Amino acid sequence: MVEDTGKTLRTDTYRPVNAPEPVKVEEDASGLPAAVREKQRQVVTAIEDRWRIDDEWWRREPVARLYYNVRLASGQRLVLYKDLVTGGWYQQSY
Amino acid sequence: MRVLCVLLAHFPWRCEVRRNPALEDRPAIVTYTSGSRKLVLDWSPELEGLQHDMPLQQALAHHGEVELLQADIPCYRAVFNELLDALEEKSPLVEGPEPGCVYIGVDGLQLIYPDDDALLKAIGEAIPEAFTPQIGIAGNKFLAYLAARRSPPGGHRILNGDVASFLRRLPCDVLPVSMKSKGKLHDFGIHTLGQVAALFPGPLQAQFGPEGKRIWELARGLDDTPLHPRFMEKTMEESTALSSVTVSLEAILVAAESLLVRVFAVIGRKGLGIRSLTLWTRAWNAESWERTIQFKEPAMDMKAAASRIKRVLEDYPQPGPVEQVGMRVNRLGYPRGQQKSLFSEVRASDHLNEDIRQLEFRLGNPQVYRLKEVEPWSRIPERRYALTPTGR
Repeated sequence: MVEDTGKTLRTDTYRPVNAPEPVKVEEDASGLPAAVREKQRQVVTAIEDRWRIDDEWWRREPVARLYYNVRLASGQRLVLYKDLVTGGWYQQSY
Repeated sequence: MRVLCVLLAHFPWRCEVRRNPALEDRPAIVTYTSGSRKLVLDWSPELEGLQHDMPLQQALAHHGEVELLQADIPCYRAVFNELLDALEEKSPLVEGPEPGCVYIGVDGLQLIYPDDDALLKAIGEAIPEAFTPQIGIAGNKFLAYLAARRSPPGGHRILNGDVASFLRRLPCDVLPVSMKSKGKLHDFGIHTLGQVAALFPGPLQAQFGPEGKRIWELARGLDDTPLHPRFMEKTMEESTALSSVTVSLEAILVAAESLLVRVFAVIGRKGLGIRSLTLWTRAWNAESWERTIQFKEPAMDMKAAASRIKRVLEDYPQPGPVEQVGMRVNRLGYPRGQQKSLFSEVRASDHLNEDIRQLEFRLGNPQVYRLKEVEPWSRIPERRYALTPTGR
């Protein structure tokens, strides 16, 4: 039996890890990421991988994301996703 | 490598017959208890349609008029160990993977036993008469096992030369691979080792993964599994009969402690501690209970060993009122190494926590976090881990 520490469990003291960060993305005509605007505009030179996750569809805010593993003009690799519910773009390592 | 395999069919039943010869002519099933279920361990050879680990009820549906014997695992193990001891006098490389099956390395024994007949005679002398051994000799463990399986009871089979023709017609079920793989082979219409051997290894690997390569090799009689001879360490066995049958944990513990006193009286003088011991009890209804306890560091005194035994007795209840308690010390060791904390001081983590508390008291809010797994399998990356304040 685990001894009661007497401490109150506070969810506000927990911090998420790897939370998605909003990012400005320019889409091309077919809706694919064409450029990423962070400090400066960088063109997407290649989409190396693409996958979709759909989860928690039974909740009020379901998760529907289309992830892209992209390479930018600078050679940097980035994982982006488009939130298919809100339409926003986010950056997140997968 | 040349390997000799000895198979003793119906080993548990034969141990029972050895103990009570009157059972020889009576159909009997040896049962054991797993949780609340009674399962079949073994049976007399004339009973057909039975399988190991099948529920007893199912077995009784096949054979209603049989004698039921409660398995006495410690006894079977003791008999098997005696057999291994005897075989070790013939060859130093003796492996007993399970009661009733022995592998013996016979390379280099030609100087003692000039031919196979002399070797077989010596091995036969080491096996008690009550058992009818099937013996196989071949170039590796798998082939020796198959040769033994295909030899007549009390006889032998030596595999030399054309192994492929021996293997060709054997069913895939003889392969020591998972049931799933065997089922899959049959689903593909592959029923014999000859059919497997005719295939290329690539497709088998593609379908079965690493096991596919092993299946292909075994079907061609290739097996590089080494022999694992048992530890030559001397074991100590102590047991005591209780004055009356009891379910009291304290009484059993007292009996176990008295056995520990005897053990430490012998090993304590040599500065040795217990690395591994097997505690067993026998209940009045002949059911047996057995647990092996491994010690991370050798238990150098009675107190250390008794506290572990107490915990095991509490965690694993007895099957019934106990009338005998026994202990087998499997491994001994010297107190050579002390496992220390990663920190130089044992209490360093306590100090660290105290410092963190002080910091939070001064600055407010949690300042130091620990990474915790939340749903590491989640497809949603931010759900996998979270930072939690240290010490909460």
